[in-house]
Amino acid sequence: MSKTETPSTEQHRDDDQTADDAPTGPAVATTGDADGAAFSGEDLVIGYPTAEDPVVDEESLVAAPGQVTALVGPNGSGKSTLLKGMADELSPDSGSVRLDGRPVESFDSKGLARRLGLLSQENVAPESITVEKLVEHGRYPYRGFFGGLTDDDLAAIDRAIDLAGVDHIRDREVGSLSGGQKQLVWIAMVLAQETDVLLLDEPTTFLDMHHQLEVMEVVETLRSESDKTVVVILHDLQQAARLADHMLALKDGSVHSRGPPEDVITEETLADVFGIEATVTQSDLGPRITPLRPLHDDTGADVHL
Amino acid sequence: MGETVSSDTGREAGESARLAWIDRSLLTLCLGSLAIAVVAGLVQVSFGSYSMSVAEAWRAVVDTTVLLDPRWLLNFLLGEQLMRSVLGFQGELPDLPTTTLIVWNIRLPRVFVAMIVGMNLAVSGAIFQAVTRNELASPFILGVSSGAGLLILLTLVVFPMLASALPVIAAAGGMGAFALVYLIAWKGGTSPVRLVLAGVIVGTVFQSLQTGLFFFADDIGVVQSAIAWTTGSLTGTNWEQVRTALPWTVVAMGLALVGSRQLNVLLLGERTASSLGMNVERMRFALSAVGVLAAAASIAVAGIVGFVGLIVPHVVRNVVGSGYKRLVVGCLFAGPALLVAADVGARLAIPVLVGGSGQLPVGIVTGLVGGPYFLYLMRKQDQLGEI
Repeated sequence: MSKTETPSTEQHRDDDQTADDAPTGPAVATTGDADGAAFSGEDLVIGYPTAEDPVVDEESLVAAPGQVTALVGPNGSGKSTLLKGMADELSPDSGSVRLDGRPVESFDSKGLARRLGLLSQENVAPESITVEKLVEHGRYPYRGFFGGLTDDDLAAIDRAIDLAGVDHIRDREVGSLSGGQKQLVWIAMVLAQETDVLLLDEPTTFLDMHHQLEVMEVVETLRSESDKTVVVILHDLQQAARLADHMLALKDGSVHSRGPPEDVITEETLADVFGIEATVTQSDLGPRITPLRPLHDDTGADVHL
Repeated sequence: MGETVSSDTGREAGESARLAWIDRSLLTLCLGSLAIAVVAGLVQVSFGSYSMSVAEAWRAVVDTTVLLDPRWLLNFLLGEQLMRSVLGFQGELPDLPTTTLIVWNIRLPRVFVAMIVGMNLAVSGAIFQAVTRNELASPFILGVSSGAGLLILLTLVVFPMLASALPVIAAAGGMGAFALVYLIAWKGGTSPVRLVLAGVIVGTVFQSLQTGLFFFADDIGVVQSAIAWTTGSLTGTNWEQVRTALPWTVVAMGLALVGSRQLNVLLLGERTASSLGMNVERMRFALSAVGVLAAAASIAVAGIVGFVGLIVPHVVRNVVGSGYKRLVVGCLFAGPALLVAADVGARLAIPVLVGGSGQLPVGIVTGLVGGPYFLYLMRKQDQLGEI
C-alpha cells in the first residue's frame, strides 16, 4: 500500500501551525506529535427541532490530532447525534465545534468538505454507477461548477481506491457489490475528499467479519501512515478498544468516561453504561471483554455493583 | 514507485475519459432515436389537406432553394423582421414552389415543435427524478401542470380577451404553482418528500378549481380548446411556436447538461451531498428551476403533454444507466423521437381509423403509449420507483 500523505494536506498543516491558536481541550491525553488538525466540540447541547429535551447535554469532545477517537455507548445514548453536531449537520443549541480553532459554521460548505469528511451510517447510490465514478464524487469539494478532473483529482482518486483496497473492483457497478464491498467503496469516496478530519458513523455495523476487519485495517493504516484525525462510532466494544487511541463512553447524552481504552473499558463502565455484567482482561490487542449476562432494571446496575 | 505508476495510468485514463462517457449504448440510443424522429417526421410531412405525392413532399424537405438560402432559413427561425435586420436584406424573398412553401411553412414546423417539446419534457422529467430521488417523478410533480391548467381555464372561460397571451399565461401559471409548492414545503429547508407532498396539495386544489371552471364554459368551442391545452396538442403549431420555445430550450438544455454532475451528487442523498460540500437546498432549487423552465417552455407551445417526461428518462436510464450526463444527452434525442412519433399518431389516427378529418391532442397518444409501457415495466421489474 502506498503512502497516503499528499502535498495538499502538507500545505494545510503548515497554514494551521502558523495561523492559529489551536485550543487544547480538557481531559485529553495528547500523546505523540501534534500532527493533523485539532478538532473539538465544547459544551455542546444538541437536540432535534421536534424534541424538547436535547439529546446531547453540555458535552465536550476533543479529537486528538492524528489519532483515532472512538465513541461508544448503547442505542440512544447520543453518539450519532454528537457526531452530527460535530459534522455541522445539526447546529448545536449552544456550544461550539472548532476545527483548528475556527468554528465549523464559519467555513463555506465546500471549504469545510475539504477539511472534514463524514461517512454516514446508511448510504445510497444508483445501482449502475461504477466504483470509480462513485469515488470520483469525493472530489466534489475541489471542483468548480464547470470544473473537470485535474491530475490532482485523478491521483487522489487512485490513492483512495488503493488505500481502501477496492482497486480490483474499480470498474464494477456498485449495485453488483456485496454490502461489505460497498462500504469499502464509500470509505474510498470519503478518503478521496482528502480531509484532515474523518468522521465515521458505525462503519463496521452489518458487515461480515472479513469486511469488518477490512474496514478496521483501513482505519489502522490511516492512523499509522497519515496524520488524519479520526472520530469513529463503533458498536463493537472490542473493535473500539483495539482501534482507538482515545475513547468516550456515552450514556443518556452525557460522557460517562473518557480516556485510553484500558481506562474506559472496565467492568464497572460496562455495567454502568451498557448494563451488562462482563469480565475484562488485558491482552496484546487491548482490553478483552467477555460478556456474561445482562443486568436488569429491577436489580439496578448501580445496586448490582 | 507504486504511486508514480498508478498516477500515470490515472492521467492517461483522464485524457481518454473526456469522451469516454459517450459509449456504444448511448450512441445506439441517440442514433436510433434520430432515425425514429426522421422517419416519423417524413411521414408527418407527407400528409395534409393539400394533396401532393410522398415523393414531392420529401423533395420539398430537401429543396435547396430553402436549405442553401440563409435568408429563408433565418426567416423561419427568427421571423421576417429579425432576419432583415440581421442580414440587412431589404428585397423580396425568392419565390418557392407551392409544395416547398406548404411543407416548410406548415408541415415541418410542427415536427420541429414536437422535437422541442419532447426534449424539454424529457430533460425536465430527468431533472425532477433526481431532485425528488424518485423514478416516478415527472416534470409536473411540483404543481406545474395544475398551475398552468388553472390559468388556461381562467383565461379561456373568464378572461377570453387575454386568449392571445395564453402561451405566456400558461407558462407563468406553471412557474407560479411551482413557487407556491416551494413556499408550502419550506420549513427551515425542504426535503424531497415535503416537496412532493406540497405538489400533491397544490395539484389537488388547482385541479378541482380547473375542473370547476369547465361548468362556466358556455360553448363547446371553449371546452375543446381548453381540453386541447390541458392534454397537450400540436395542432396548428408553426414557426411562431418554434421561435417562442427555442431560446428557452437552448438555455434550459445547456443548464441541464452543465448541472448533470450536480444531479449525480444529489442522487447520493442529501446527507452525502451536503457532506461533500454541496449547498443542497440552493442546488435543489436551482435545478428545479431549470426543470420548470423547460416544462414551461413546452407548455407555452403545446399545452400540458403528459407522460413524455415520465417515460423517456425511464427508457433512457434503462439503456445508458443513471449517470446524468449520459441521461440528459439521451433524453435530448429520445424525447423528440417519442413526441414526433406520437404526433404522427395524433394527426393520422382519426383519418386512418374512422375516416374523418379531425386530429387528436398528442397528449392522448402519449398517455395511450405511456400506460401500457408502465404496465410492462411493472410486470418485468421487481423494484420500480428507486433510481
